[in-house]
Amino acid sequence: MTLASCLILSAAVLCVGIYGLLTRKQAVAMLLSIELMANSANMVFASYGHFRGGPSAQVFVLFALAITVAEVAVGLALVMLLYRRHGDTALDLASEARQ
Amino acid sequence: MSAVTLGLIATFAPLAAALLLWALVPLRHRGAPAAWVTLLGSVIALAASVKLVIDRLGGAPDVRTTIPWIEERGRAMAELGVQLDGVSVPMLVIVCLVALCVQLFSVAYMHDEPPRAFGRYFTLHALFLFSMNVVVVSPNLLQLFAGWELVGLTSYLLIGFYFAKPSAAQAAVKAFWMTKLADMGFLFGLLVLYVNTGGFEWTAVPGTAIATWVTALLFLAVVGKSAQFPLHIWLPDAMEGPTPVSALLHAATMVAAGVFLVVRADPLFAQAPATREVMLWIGASTAVFAAGLALVQKDIKKVLAFSTCSQLGYMVAALGAGQAFAGFFHLGTHAFFKALLFLAAGSVIHAVHSNSLDDMGGLRKKLPLTTAAFVIGALSLAGVPGFAGFFSKDLVLGALEGKASWVPWAMLMGSAFLTAFYMGRVVIKAFWGAESEKAAHAHEGGLAMTGPLVALALPSLGAGFLGGWLATQVRAEYHLHLGLTPIAASAMALLGIGAAIMVFGKGGQAPLVGTLEKLDAFSLVDKTWAGAYRIGLLGVSSLAGWIDRYLIDGLMNFTGWAALEGGASARKLQTGLVRDYAMLVVVGVLVLVLIGVLR
Amino acid sequence: MNHLLATIVAAPAIAGAVLLVVPSTQRLAIRVVSLLGALVSLGASIQIALQYDRATGGLQLLETVPLVPSLGIHLKLAVDGWGVALLLLTGVIIVTGVLASWSVERRDKEFFLLLLVLVAGVFGVFVSQDLFVFFLFYEIAVLPMYLLIGIWGSSHEVPASGPFKFAWRRFAVGSKEYAAMKLTLMLLVGSAAILVAMFLLWGNSGARTFDLQVLEATKFPIGVQHVVFPLVWLGFGTLAGVFPFHTWSPDGHASAPTAVSMLHAGVLMKLGAFGVLRIGMVLVPDAAAWWAPIVGGVAVVNVLYGALCAASQKDLKYIVAYSSVSHMGVVMLGIATLNAAGWNGAVYQMVAHGIMTGLFFALVGLVYERAHTRAIAKMGGFAHVMPVVAGFFTLACLSSLGLPGTAGFIAEFMVFAGAAKGANAWWAVPGVLGAFVTAVYVLRACKAIFWGPAPAGEYSHLEDVRRTEWAAPLVLGSLLVVFGFWPRLLLDFIDVASQGYLGRLPLVALAQVVTP
Repeated sequence: MTLASCLILSAAVLCVGIYGLLTRKQAVAMLLSIELMANSANMVFASYGHFRGGPSAQVFVLFALAITVAEVAVGLALVMLLYRRHGDTALDLASEARQ
Repeated sequence: MSAVTLGLIATFAPLAAALLLWALVPLRHRGAPAAWVTLLGSVIALAASVKLVIDRLGGAPDVRTTIPWIEERGRAMAELGVQLDGVSVPMLVIVCLVALCVQLFSVAYMHDEPPRAFGRYFTLHALFLFSMNVVVVSPNLLQLFAGWELVGLTSYLLIGFYFAKPSAAQAAVKAFWMTKLADMGFLFGLLVLYVNTGGFEWTAVPGTAIATWVTALLFLAVVGKSAQFPLHIWLPDAMEGPTPVSALLHAATMVAAGVFLVVRADPLFAQAPATREVMLWIGASTAVFAAGLALVQKDIKKVLAFSTCSQLGYMVAALGAGQAFAGFFHLGTHAFFKALLFLAAGSVIHAVHSNSLDDMGGLRKKLPLTTAAFVIGALSLAGVPGFAGFFSKDLVLGALEGKASWVPWAMLMGSAFLTAFYMGRVVIKAFWGAESEKAAHAHEGGLAMTGPLVALALPSLGAGFLGGWLATQVRAEYHLHLGLTPIAASAMALLGIGAAIMVFGKGGQAPLVGTLEKLDAFSLVDKTWAGAYRIGLLGVSSLAGWIDRYLIDGLMNFTGWAALEGGASARKLQTGLVRDYAMLVVVGVLVLVLIGVLR
Repeated sequence: MNHLLATIVAAPAIAGAVLLVVPSTQRLAIRVVSLLGALVSLGASIQIALQYDRATGGLQLLETVPLVPSLGIHLKLAVDGWGVALLLLTGVIIVTGVLASWSVERRDKEFFLLLLVLVAGVFGVFVSQDLFVFFLFYEIAVLPMYLLIGIWGSSHEVPASGPFKFAWRRFAVGSKEYAAMKLTLMLLVGSAAILVAMFLLWGNSGARTFDLQVLEATKFPIGVQHVVFPLVWLGFGTLAGVFPFHTWSPDGHASAPTAVSMLHAGVLMKLGAFGVLRIGMVLVPDAAAWWAPIVGGVAVVNVLYGALCAASQKDLKYIVAYSSVSHMGVVMLGIATLNAAGWNGAVYQMVAHGIMTGLFFALVGLVYERAHTRAIAKMGGFAHVMPVVAGFFTLACLSSLGLPGTAGFIAEFMVFAGAAKGANAWWAVPGVLGAFVTAVYVLRACKAIFWGPAPAGEYSHLEDVRRTEWAAPLVLGSLLVVFGFWPRLLLDFIDVASQGYLGRLPLVALAQVVTP
C-alpha cells in the first residue's frame, strides 16, 4: 500500500460524498454524504501521517473527528426539528428564507 | 451732572421702567400703577433732556462717548455710545415731550381696557421711548440701526395691541414686513460702509461712488420707515393701533426716524448728489400723492395718516434739496402739531366711539377745547402764517426755490393747497355742520386728556419762532425773508381753507373727491404689493417646499428604495434549496482548483 | 490640576449609570438624578468659562489618559475658546431640556438615560483633543437619536407625489420610524465619510497619531487635503444640515419629542458645524481655503432655500425645523468667509441659534402637548389663554429674524460683515434676504397661532406655562436678550480661538480679506 493508493481511495470517498450530497433529498442521507467527505479528508491526514511521519497528523485527525461528532449531533438535531415541523426530512422543504 | 450722564438717564430711565414692568408681573397686571411707572420714566427722561438743553444754552459743547460693543482682535468692530449735539438734544426734547403728553393722554383714553392690557400698553410705551432715544443719541449708524429696528418692534407690538382683531394683527405684521423689507437696505448700506471704511460713522468720506451706494441703500430704509411712496402702504393700516399710539409712533416720532437718519447722516448724503436728486422727487411725489389720498378718506385717522405721509414727503424733499435743517425743523414742528391733531382726534373718537367722519359733526359745542386744539393743529399743518407749520414749511419750499427745482416746488405748492383743503374738510365735517346722532352724548375727557392737548397746542402755535435757535444748534443758516415762496405758500394755505369752506361749508362734496375715490390709487399700490407677496413669496416658497419634499427628499427616498429593491432582486439568488448551494460550492471549488492547476 | 473636563463628560454618564439601578417606578427619583447630572455639567461648564484664560487663549485645562498607546489613541481632554462657548450652550440646553421633559410618561427611565448618554457624547466632542475619541463621542451623541425618535416620537402622514412617488410604498413617509431611520442612515453615511478622512489623516500624519495638536502641526500633502476636506465637510455637514443632505432634519425634528428636538437642533447640529471648523478648517487649511467658495455657495443656498421651505410649511414643528436648516446655513456661511468676523459670527450663531431653537422647540412642545395639534391652521388666538408662551415665542421669533437686541442679530451681523469683507461679498445679499424671508414666516406663524379672537371649544381652556415648564422659556429667553446686548460675554472666548486658528490659513486666502 502506497501513499498514492491511499490518496486515490480518499478522493473516491470524497466523490461519493459529493455525489450523495448533490443527489439525495433526505436530510439524513445528505448528512451522511457530508460525513463521507469529512472522513475522506481525515483519511488524507492519516495517510500523510503514516507515510511521512510525525504525530501532528494524528492529533489533527482526532481533533477533527471530535468536531465532526459534534457537528453531526447538531445536524441531527436540526433534522429532528425539520421532521417535527414538516413531517418529513426532505431538506427542500426548509426554504422559507427565500421569501 | 455731565452731559453723557444726562443722555444716559434720558435713554435708560424708560428702559428701567419697561424692565421693571416686565419683571414685576403683578405690578403690570394691576394696570394703573404700570402707567405711573412709565410716566415716571418719561418724566425723568424729559427732565434730563431739558437739562441738556439748558446746559447747551449755557454754552455746553457737543459730547460723544462710545464703548466697544462687538470686538475683534481687541479692536472694536462696532461701538455703542451717546452723542449729544445740536441734532440729538433738541430731538430728545421733542421725543420725550410728545411721548409724555401721549402717555398722559393714554391714561384717560385707555382706561376702559382690562388692567392686564393696560399694563402691557404702558410697558410697550416705555420700551418705545427707550428705543427711540437709542436712535436719537446714537453716535454711529450701527447703533442707530439697532434702535431703528427696536422702534420697529414696538411699533409692531403696539399696532397689534388689539391682537384679538384680525385686521389689527394683519396691520401689525404688514407694518413689520414692509419696514423690514426696506431695512434690508439699511443693513446693506451698513455693510458697504463697513467694508469700505471699516466703521459705521456718518462722518466717513468713502468717495462719491461708495457714498452714493451707501446713501441710496440707507434711503431705501427711509422710504420704508418714513412711509414714502411706494412703501407707504403700511402707515394707513397702522391706524388699527390705539389712537395715542398713532399720535406718538405713526405721526410724531417713529416715522420721523427716517428723516432723522438723513439729517444725522447728512455728511454722507452730501457726498451723493444723485441720491439727493432721487430723494427730492420721491419726497415731492409722495407729498402730492398722499395729500390727494387724504382728501378722500372717511376715517379721521386715515386722513391724518395720509397727511403724515404727505408731510414726511415735504421733509424728504427738503433733505433731497440738500437743506437738512429745513427737513429737521419741519420734523420738529410736525411732531407737535401732528401729535396734537391725533390726540384731538383721539378725544373725538373717545367721545363719539367712532372713527368715521360721517358719525361726527357739530362737535364744536360739545367739545370746545378739543375743537380749539384740533383747529390750531389744522391751521399749523395747513401752514397759515404765524403758526409753527408755516415757518418750517416755508423753509422747505424755500430750499427748493434756492435750488431752483421748480417742478418739485410747484408740486409741494399744490400739495400745500391740498393740505389746507383736506384739513378744512375734516374740521368742517367733524366740528361744524349739523350735530350727528353719535355726537349728542359727547363730552370732554378729564384733565389727563385735555392737559396734553393744551401742552401740545402751545408749541404748535409757537415752535416756529424757535427756528433761529435750532438753526444755531445745527450750525445752519436761517433767516426769514419776504419773497416769492412765503407769499405763495400763505396764499395756497388761505386759498385751500377758503375752498374748503366754499365746498364743504354747505355740506357739499367736491367733484374732485368723487373722481379720486373712483381712482382708488391707494388700493392699487396695496394690491400690487399683495400680489408680489402672494406670487413672489408664497408662490416661490411653496415651490421650494415642494421641491424639497418631493425632489430632494424624494431622491433620498429613491436611494432607500433602490437599496431595498436591489436587495430584493439579489435575494432571488437564494433558492433556499441546499443542493443548489452545495452545487455552487462544488463548482466554486472546482474553479479554484482549475485556477490553481493552470497557474 | 483639576478634572473639570472629565467631570463635565462624566457627570451625565454617571447619572445615566445611576439611572440603571433606580427602579422605574421611582419617577421623581429618575428625574432628580437626571437633573443633577445635567446641573453638574452646567456648573462645570460655567466653572470652565471662569477658569479659562481669555487673554492667552489656545487649549487649556489639559488632561491626558492613554487609551490605546500603540495606535496613538489617548483620552486627551482640553478646551479652546470655541469649546467654552459651546459647552455653556450644551449645559444650558440639557438642563432646560430635562426640565422640559418632566412630563414624559412612557418609559421615562429609558428616555432620560438615552438623553444623558447623548449629552455626554456632545460634551465629549467639544473637549476631546484626540481625533479618534472625538469621533467616538460623536457617534455616542448621534446614535441614541434613533431610539429617542423611534420610541418617543410622533408621526404624521406625507402624501405620495412627485417623480419619486413609487418609492412611497416602501416606507411610511412622515412616520416616526421613517424619520428615525432616515436620520440615522444619513448621519451614518456622513460618519463613514468622516471615518475615511480620519484614517487618511492618521496614515499621513507620519507620527501615526490621532492627537489633534500633532495633526495641527502636520502639513499634509495637498492631495490628501483635497480628499480629506470634502469628506469632512459633507460628513460633518450632513449633521449640520448642509444642502442637499439636510432632509433628515425637518422630518427628524418634527417627529422627535420636545427635549430631543431641543438637544438635536440646539446642540447636535452644532457638532457638525464644529467638526467642519475644528477638523476641516484647522487640520487641512490649504484645501479648506480652496474649497471655501464652494462651501459658502452651498451655505447661501441653505440660508435662502431653507427659509423659503420654512415659509411654505403648515406644520409648526416643520417651520422651526426648516428654520434650523436656514440658520445653520448662516453658520456655514460664516465658516466659509475665512476671516475673524465670519468665524466669530459662525460660532456665535451656533450658540444663538442653539438657544433660540431650544426655546422654540420647548414652546412648540408645550403648545403641542396641550392642543394636540401641530397644524397652524387649527390654532389661533392662543395668546388669550397662554400669554407667557406667546410672549416668549415672539422673543424667539425676533431672535430668529435677527432683531438687534437679541443674540441672533449679533451673530448674523458678524457673519454678513465677514462675508462682505471676504472674497465673495455677494454672499451677504442672499444672507440678508434669507433673514427677511425669516421675518415673513415667523411673524406669520406667530400671528396665526397666538393672535386673533380668543379660541373657542376645545382650545378655550389651554393652560399656560406651569412649574418646571418655566425653566426653558425663562432661562433661554433671558439668555437671548443678554447675549444680544452684551456679546462680549461669549465673544471674548470665541474671538481668541478664531484668531489662533486663523493664523493657520494659507496666505492666499488671507490676502483676499480686506483689512481696512
